[in-house]
Amino acid sequence: MDLVALYVDQAGENDLSRGRARRFPSMRIYPTIAEALTLGTNQLAVDGVVLVGEHGNYPRNEKGQTRYPRHEFFEQIVRVFRDSRRSVPVFNDKHLSWNWDWARQMYDQSRELDFPLMAGSSLPVTWRIPSVEMPLGAVIREALCVCYGGVDSYDFHGLETIQCMVERRQGGETGVQWLQAYRGERFWQACQDGVWPRDLMTAALCRSHTLASGRPGFHALPSLEDMRRLVQDPVAYRYRHHDGLFSTMLLMDGLVRDFNFAASIDGRQDPFSTQLYLPMPPARTSLASFFSPLVHHMERMFLTGKPSYPVERTLLTTGLTAAGVESLFRNQARYETPHLAIAYHPRPESTFWRT
Amino acid sequence: MTQRLAVVTTAYRYQSHAQHLVDPFLTGYPRDGLWHRPDLRIVSLYADQKPDGDLSAPRAAEFGFRLYPAIAETLCCGGDKLAVDAVLIAAGHGQYPRNEKGQVLDPRYEFFAQCVDVFERSRRTAPIYIYPHLSYSFEKARWMADAALRLNFPLLAGSALPVTWRLPDLELPPGCGIEDALMVGAGGPDAVDDRALEAMQSMLERRRGGETGVKAVCMIEGDEVWQAGRDGRWPPELLGAALSRSDTPQGLTLQDGRPQDLAANGELPKLVPKPAACFFEYRDGLRATLLMLTGAVRDFTFAARLKDLGILSTQFLLTPEPNAPGSARLVRHIEEMFLTGRKPYPLERSLMVCGMLESCLDSRGQGSKRLETPHLDVQYQLPGHLL
Repeated sequence: MDLVALYVDQAGENDLSRGRARRFPSMRIYPTIAEALTLGTNQLAVDGVVLVGEHGNYPRNEKGQTRYPRHEFFEQIVRVFRDSRRSVPVFNDKHLSWNWDWARQMYDQSRELDFPLMAGSSLPVTWRIPSVEMPLGAVIREALCVCYGGVDSYDFHGLETIQCMVERRQGGETGVQWLQAYRGERFWQACQDGVWPRDLMTAALCRSHTLASGRPGFHALPSLEDMRRLVQDPVAYRYRHHDGLFSTMLLMDGLVRDFNFAASIDGRQDPFSTQLYLPMPPARTSLASFFSPLVHHMERMFLTGKPSYPVERTLLTTGLTAAGVESLFRNQARYETPHLAIAYHPRPESTFWRT
Repeated sequence: MTQRLAVVTTAYRYQSHAQHLVDPFLTGYPRDGLWHRPDLRIVSLYADQKPDGDLSAPRAAEFGFRLYPAIAETLCCGGDKLAVDAVLIAAGHGQYPRNEKGQVLDPRYEFFAQCVDVFERSRRTAPIYIYPHLSYSFEKARWMADAALRLNFPLLAGSALPVTWRLPDLELPPGCGIEDALMVGAGGPDAVDDRALEAMQSMLERRRGGETGVKAVCMIEGDEVWQAGRDGRWPPELLGAALSRSDTPQGLTLQDGRPQDLAANGELPKLVPKPAACFFEYRDGLRATLLMLTGAVRDFTFAARLKDLGILSTQFLLTPEPNAPGSARLVRHIEEMFLTGRKPYPLERSLMVCGMLESCLDSRGQGSKRLETPHLDVQYQLPGHLL
């Protein structure tokens, strides 16, 4: 497979595109998306498209969402498909759009034009430590992820962490009825009141490789009081799926710097738990090789025309990310999500990196 | 009844090996996704050195165990007979001289010998775990293993690397035919990393027929290492496979984030100022290589070519600083051995590592001569439950 065309919206001081183009002359940089897809002709001239729409300087809206132009780019890609009366597979990095309506349009267009679309985070496909898969058809009571980062950012990765697991439950995914966000003091109160299960929190923290200690000089499990001290801006999204499952995504910057999942499953005494391994450079690794599995699945889709996992997963997590922002914007009110009645079944086979 | 544990350590300060191995017995540790509190209580501790930041006194005050000025007193808790159910000897991070081979003269043998004295005097024994290995000297290590056999008590030694997470979660099939193997290690002040050697041995001991011992070793350094690769003395395709498991390629990756095929792109000689290679000829004909590539990567990877299965490879994961979860699995094995008296892996693994390491350094000292190692006829099989 040759990378033949590249469009870069912003080339800042630390731009790599020019240097890479010099090193790999078979890849040309084009000034527009249409030209990149047509190689400067008037017909689609490539076999697959990767859309990576984050980083770069884009404005924020009043809800704090960065207006990354993924929808705008996608529209231009689809215009070429329509004009050429031919479509090719598209991979969209991270969620489809910060704007739910636009995300839905992107999804609908892929169905209308019938082209393979895959999207999402590297979290669902990276290594897991331990290397375990959610049993297909498991009866899950509660699911929870403890991770780090900010709103309209890593919250999406936490939601994908949960979704790639819970979609394998009995009956498959049924969609989400409502979401409520908790932040600051309301987070701690909810934590104290057991709004989400503390045992799942502990189970998730026991999978972390970066757990901040409750006490300096020790590696001790932090108490709730320790966590209050360690975490300045905690955020939770708690949501109810249509079949009754509750999921909770906790952003606890200052407590961990990794993505840890736990769930209570019928028939298991102890929680099911694992870490979805994302060792961010430069502190832990030099290479962000957790992208390798994502690249592997893109490559496979481009070669076979078949997505490795359903884009509905990311359609849902896109909507959940926006719903989290919305709930926070509405003063942490419960936010009804009738638009997220997205039901789908996962592929039975595992797609995470394990060999 | 909660078992009583004595700790003998070179130095106990923050981020020392002792801290990683001792603290979990005080505060608990993460295990199988739960916070586990061992059913063992530290009752006494001996610290050979008390550097700045010594934790032995504050920990003793907080957790209610006693410090003793001598090892015998520690094991007897001030009495005249053995008064504990298990002994943890945790070495490393002390200030001891190096010998002419470059080995730190950690007094693990001396610590152990004093424990054995107490056992003999008390006519009672207890399990001993030694971290990271028996001794820098094979002769001393052999004596230690023999003493445990003679007095019939469980003795085990080993570091965390063989028992940590692997990416991928690879275990070689029991009884597999290994045609060739290569381990890549990095870091540390020592020319050869004993952890890397032990991780490699933990893979190779699973081969058909079990461990047979090592017939000869040779260690080379510097540009000769690259020449040896060109001469086919170590397999380049296994280096490619091992390095494909690394998450820490240095050089160009640090510059601009690019993935690199370090085994093939010619960068290695620029990145590794002091390469070293250890060649091992096992008595059953297997050949294995340890490459120390400090400067090129910062992690530990392994590849082997197996009969019928092709090349298999993995990374032995070191968790990030403060690396407490990285010791958790080892602590679990230590705890289980103390509680059950059953060894989770053979002592001979550590014995082999001590001997292989020492002989490599001897080879280096004799101008990288190939040395026959008739004393390394260490034969062992993994017990069935470990296969």
